[in-house]
Amino acid sequence: MSNKKYRVTIIEPSEIVSAGLKYLIEYAGTFQVTKIFHNLQEFNELPSGNPNIIIVNPSVLSALGGENTKSLSTKDDTTIIAINYGAYDEENLRNYDGCIGIFNTKEQVEKKLQAALKISSDKEQDENSNELSLREREILTAVAKGKTNKEIADEFNLSIHTVISHRKNISHKLGINSIAGLTIYAVMNKLLDVEDF
Amino acid sequence: MNDNAPIFSARTKMSEIITDSSLLSIIERLNIKLGFGEASIDEICHRHGLSTELFLMICKVYSLENFKPEIAHLTRDDIPKLIGYLQRTHQYWTESFFPNLHSNIHTMLESCDETSKKMLNKFYDDYDEEIQKHLDYEENTVFPYILSLVNAEQKKTCEFRIRNFEENHSNIEEKLHDLKNIVIKYLPDSAPQQSRINVLNEIFKIENDLCKHSVIENKILIPLVSKYE
Repeated sequence: MSNKKYRVTIIEPSEIVSAGLKYLIEYAGTFQVTKIFHNLQEFNELPSGNPNIIIVNPSVLSALGGENTKSLSTKDDTTIIAINYGAYDEENLRNYDGCIGIFNTKEQVEKKLQAALKISSDKEQDENSNELSLREREILTAVAKGKTNKEIADEFNLSIHTVISHRKNISHKLGINSIAGLTIYAVMNKLLDVEDF
Repeated sequence: MNDNAPIFSARTKMSEIITDSSLLSIIERLNIKLGFGEASIDEICHRHGLSTELFLMICKVYSLENFKPEIAHLTRDDIPKLIGYLQRTHQYWTESFFPNLHSNIHTMLESCDETSKKMLNKFYDDYDEEIQKHLDYEENTVFPYILSLVNAEQKKTCEFRIRNFEENHSNIEEKLHDLKNIVIKYLPDSAPQQSRINVLNEIFKIENDLCKHSVIENKILIPLVSKYE
């Protein structure tokens, strides 16, 4: 990884929580919190700092009567993470790319952000590349093993929408659409053992 | 539309339109005997009890890109001829084309590692089975229904309708497309170049044939049969 820090924007009503979150997130030096907003109106009206990650309290969004995480960013590769006080179960946070719990340690926070970020960092790297990204290879392996989109979404803590979009990209890059064809690719490229299926 | 395509008409000499192997195969599938002499398309069709309109339409599907068939001038009598054409095509595929492709694939994989061999063979066998199922469905369900409809034997209570056929017209081209890309991109070097090229040429041929076949079924057969349902 380069020295470049990933930009994080926080949308969280509580000043205590957002300040604490900023401390934990920046601790390892990978991420930098560039903006903190306390409500959606501020976020919408002020420059967002072009973040790689937006961490948002779901209550800020559901106050609008919806869980529409897509409204936060017009860019596909912005990672949207929920900060969960415990009021939401995982099922309700399916639209998010990841979730930080209020009791998470700084190591856990770092790990979760890194994991969720793979999607977008891969995309950056992929702009000039037709090779599969790490995340795409992982998803392809799961597809070849016969897993459904929902199972894959659960396993990698992604939304189903994201899984489908990865699958489209994979098929587009490889020129292979059928699961049987993808399985052959996976085995030939040693992503999967022939004994696995 | 392709500007270089020959302009056919009823008065064109039959011998002049046989310019490539796909047009030659139409002649064969319609049971038209070679040895045309100077006879026109119209004369030859008449000799074989075939409507010139239908014959020209099939030729145009094959030789003009994006050709949109207009079925207004086709009649009930054209339906059995069209079915005969489709059946002969199926027969050619199952008796000649696919066994040949299979044997070419077998040759291509001979010197590959066991895993590639096993997987590709299974992939092809599954595909073969899918194709066979698709063709069986047409031969055993769709065509008999259409023929009995044309012969006015079909009872009104029959639940099958030609539009059901459209819904069941599964996409058998996807796996072929995948196979093509696997051979082009991913097969190990142990598969000899020449046998890969042979397989690819076969795939290009059948891809085109399948595509034209679907146009004939979807744009000629189905609308035509709907008129008489």
